[in-house]
Amino acid sequence: MSVRHVDELDRIEMEDGFVWRPIRRAFDIRAFGVNAYTALEAGSQIVEEHTESNLGHEEIYLVLRGRARFTVDGNEHELAPGQLVFLRDPALKRGAIALDDDTVVLALGGKPGEPFTVSAWEAMFAAVPAAREEHWDEAIRIHEEALAEQPEHAALLYNLACMEARGGRRLDALLHLQRAVELDPKWAEHARADSDFASIRGEPGFPA
Amino acid sequence: MNGYEILSIDDLDRYPGSNDDAPVMLPLRRRLGFRPFGLNCWAAQRVGGHVIQRHFERDGDEELYVVVRGRATFTLGEETFDAPAGTLVHAPPGTLREAVAAEDGTVVLAAGAKPGEAFDPAPWEEFAIAYSRARSGEVDAARAAVTDVLERYPDTWQGEYNAACFEALYGDGDTAFAHLRRAHRLAPKDVAQFAEGDDDLAALRGDRRWQELFS
Repeated sequence: MSVRHVDELDRIEMEDGFVWRPIRRAFDIRAFGVNAYTALEAGSQIVEEHTESNLGHEEIYLVLRGRARFTVDGNEHELAPGQLVFLRDPALKRGAIALDDDTVVLALGGKPGEPFTVSAWEAMFAAVPAAREEHWDEAIRIHEEALAEQPEHAALLYNLACMEARGGRRLDALLHLQRAVELDPKWAEHARADSDFASIRGEPGFPA
Repeated sequence: MNGYEILSIDDLDRYPGSNDDAPVMLPLRRRLGFRPFGLNCWAAQRVGGHVIQRHFERDGDEELYVVVRGRATFTLGEETFDAPAGTLVHAPPGTLREAVAAEDGTVVLAAGAKPGEAFDPAPWEEFAIAYSRARSGEVDAARAAVTDVLERYPDTWQGEYNAACFEALYGDGDTAFAHLRRAHRLAPKDVAQFAEGDDDLAALRGDRRWQELFS
């Protein structure tokens, strides 16, 4: 499929109200990052509050339809169709609220000076509907697909372990959690308080 | 602004192409100093005129076009379709793509880069702007821009070739041939192929130096 309208993209509703409309994933674009975002209704979050400090991405948010109020580094800006915000500094906190029901924001981003790689959060977002419906096999498949490209990605391994633990694959969950902690010890602390691991917390080898 | 900038696409410079069928370039990446990949807006000079020029991206760029305003009629490969605002068109490298404006005020955003490579801006943007400025009478400023591009992108046949075209149109034949010879030394096959049917070089074609170069 080479052509699609933004209204035909998948709608993946996230917990804090914004709706991810995957573009890069829809076309399997390999050269740059691009997505659209919509909101549940006027007044809802449309771009989650975040920084790009971990990824080092430069970002552009372009309003395609409706209006959005962006907050960047504590400053508010109301943007209409055809207006954009370019964030050069990855450390700046950014987010937006939709001001109209049908607002659509296009997001473009990548890390300067490096070939584009698919961000791990895409698989985590893509697995949300399956996890919400407790379709663990599907959620696991989405994570495994992403890990085939980035096998040493600690956050993906941790998330995969969560899905496996919830889906009854206790040994796989334990092994993937252990690997995530080997790669980045901070995940041990997360695991101790994570309800997803209730079924394996008493197992020998669970990161203490 | 500190680390970020707010902009409207209406604030972008507009550089019309060589005739009323050719698109108008609205350089976005260049205006912002955006570094991760190529990004430009394009408009048409009239309804029915091109908003995206017919081309293939044979050098390997993957592109996404987003109809930001208005309505376009796109051709991708052998398929032609209506593309209202909000349409996304993905064009893999080597695929024929073009679009004409179906409504006044149509604007298309084009994003592109080569998969697996760090993005490095190509000199064509600077040449497109230089040509447009020369057409509007700013020949000296345009020539200064061409000289600057050649210094920034030394030893690329595309740079020398475009400089030859520029001089053939707006300068003198001696300088044009000097650039064309350098381009030919760098990529004889490509230069011979492009030069054969390039209207920009028409003024040079009757010169004996043309025969010497391409015989």
